[in-house]
Amino acid sequence: MRFDVSILVDYWSLLAGGAWLTLCITLVAFALGYLAGVAVALVAILPGWLPKLVTGIYIETLRNIPFIIILFVVYYGLPFSGIRLPATLVGTVALALFASAYYAEIVRGALQALPRGQFESARVVGMSPAQAMWYVVAPQVLRTLVPPSTNMTLTMMKESAVLSSITVPELTYQSLIVQGNTFAPFEVFAAVTAIYWLIAIAIAELSRQLERRVGTAQVHSILANPIAARYLSLDARRPT
Amino acid sequence: MTPPPILRVSALRKEYRGTRALNELYLDIAEGEIVALMGPSGCGKSTLLRCLTWLEQPDDGFIEVAGRPFGRVLTPGGMVRRLSRREIDALRPKIGLVFQQFNLWPHMTALENVVRPQVVVLGRSRAEATRRAEELLGLLGLADRAGRYPHALSGGQKQRVAIARALAMDPALMLFDEPTSALDPELSGEVLSVLKSLAATGMTMLVVTHEVGFAVNVADRIAFMDAGAIVEEGPARAVVSNPRTPRLRNFLELVLDKSLVSAGNTLAHSQTE
Amino acid sequence: MGFNFHYLISILPDLFVAALINVRLAIIIITLAVVLGTMLTVLRSLKLRLVNAAIAVVISFVRGTPLLIQIFIAYYVLPVVGLDLSPEVAGVAAISFNTMIFVSESMRGGLASIDPGPLEAATALGLRPPLIWWKVVLPQLLRRLVPVLINEATIVVKGTALLSVITVVDVLRTAQQIASSSYRPFETLLGAAVVFLVLNLSISLAGKIAEVRFEATRT
Repeated sequence: MRFDVSILVDYWSLLAGGAWLTLCITLVAFALGYLAGVAVALVAILPGWLPKLVTGIYIETLRNIPFIIILFVVYYGLPFSGIRLPATLVGTVALALFASAYYAEIVRGALQALPRGQFESARVVGMSPAQAMWYVVAPQVLRTLVPPSTNMTLTMMKESAVLSSITVPELTYQSLIVQGNTFAPFEVFAAVTAIYWLIAIAIAELSRQLERRVGTAQVHSILANPIAARYLSLDARRPT
Repeated sequence: MTPPPILRVSALRKEYRGTRALNELYLDIAEGEIVALMGPSGCGKSTLLRCLTWLEQPDDGFIEVAGRPFGRVLTPGGMVRRLSRREIDALRPKIGLVFQQFNLWPHMTALENVVRPQVVVLGRSRAEATRRAEELLGLLGLADRAGRYPHALSGGQKQRVAIARALAMDPALMLFDEPTSALDPELSGEVLSVLKSLAATGMTMLVVTHEVGFAVNVADRIAFMDAGAIVEEGPARAVVSNPRTPRLRNFLELVLDKSLVSAGNTLAHSQTE
Repeated sequence: MGFNFHYLISILPDLFVAALINVRLAIIIITLAVVLGTMLTVLRSLKLRLVNAAIAVVISFVRGTPLLIQIFIAYYVLPVVGLDLSPEVAGVAAISFNTMIFVSESMRGGLASIDPGPLEAATALGLRPPLIWWKVVLPQLLRRLVPVLINEATIVVKGTALLSVITVVDVLRTAQQIASSSYRPFETLLGAAVVFLVLNLSISLAGKIAEVRFEATRT
């Protein structure tokens, strides 16, 4: 089977540009989305039924609708309010909105997993709620946040491919352009798959570095029982 | 002119879903006094402690710490005004609470647990806060453990760090929530000696405990609580050996076989000292 | 042109009918994914070095690349290697492959929570591996997997919306068609959103009820 590398060489700048935009969109959407997610999580843990109801509707709505529809609703809804913005910006905001619901659940779960006594002991010595969160709660919660947040960020990066459907010139959009010009789908998608894969690996590695700094929440268990290992483990490595 | 009591609780009321956890509770603690608060489970001891630190908001009643109103104040016009969060937080360092589970902050060393609140809440310089912290930890016998993290400390050591953390804030009153229950029974004696040496410095203390023997040994005065109010109070040994109210009599009978025997022993032991 | 609520209500029936396509495709995908995923898990348990290494690479790619790209590969690349599939079949194949990987990885997690005791007993009694798999491991595994699968079902349903991009006429494409003739894209797309919301919330609700039932019979 032929693999025509020359196609990739000719169009590499388009693909590189698309990859760069994907990275930028992912970064900005992550920042915006996480900020919004933390805000929603903080509201969700307030006492009373109203905060939970409002945040519950926000989160459930954004989680149960496909991102492509969220994107289209935002993209076609904004002109209604008279706001006309470039597709890339709209797409990034939509992506951030989508991700914020998931981040909110992650942060809320982590906050509720921390024993209440930690927050209370900080308040009892006289710290304000903000000080208690900053000095006592956040440092402890951070290490449990990293793995699920990384997972979601990866998911969000992959969802960015959907932005191609509103003509945002990210990687997937460029791949369709190149494919349309060259009729060489195998080469193009092989390259694009590899690029996405590399971006995913980069994100995973960043996360590993972050975990090293704030500490891991995992404890590794070993299957010493050979019969258990035979059925219940899919790893070939023998545990030490 | 007698100085105002360090703690004055008046008509404190707290209801949870129809049941009165605190029912018009009155309590005065004079400066330097050590009061042990005892009572059957469900009597409201923990609720009282939580209200005294405003972790729970009492529905009604007043709390005064060293003459200053805490949480609510009666205005000259006869209105009851709830103080702002800032006003409440400003008075919180004056009320030191040692939790039953200690609640040390695991991401900081023992020393840092004692230093950080001073810097953040009281605005002391880090140098000053560290000096105070090292002094307190030294007095509590933890000088060599100051650099350790809570997970590397024993239960008794954790408790002492928690005590140091509260003391570093210069409280007028120290509250202890069941200081012996999170530790092995053999360590009760150590806790007793820590509290006794603290008392010797003139600190006013309220110790909630279910151990009668411990209460008799540590306190000047015992207050017996039942169904949200203080039912009987008086000098420690007198209250225990001559209970007047039937409820206290019942309570002591139920607890009698275990702790009063050891209390009797420790009483006899301390009387021969 | 302002927002027309009545128009939104009027097109909902058509959209729900179109949604049946998404539901049908989702059922096919999930069934395929569970069956194939189980087979994949058994294969991986044999711990054949080369096979597991190859599978690990494939998993890495599938989890590291967008589903949309995987759908495009099924749609654009497979014809090049001789497999000319209709948009529906290509789309179902891509999403099934993706979900199959997820199922196998979930099983991997679920396996860790199974008690080795009955396995030892079965081995000691002389039962052969295929029987142990079928009678002891898989029943427990599938029971543990039900809540995870319910959640994955909602993800699959959302994934079927992407098939509109490769010309499958599902809810989204139907909504887009209605929008292009009525010039009311906002209401139609909102309608599509409502349809998915109802679909997925129903699935989650059914899942919670099923979970309660499952708990009652759990060993």
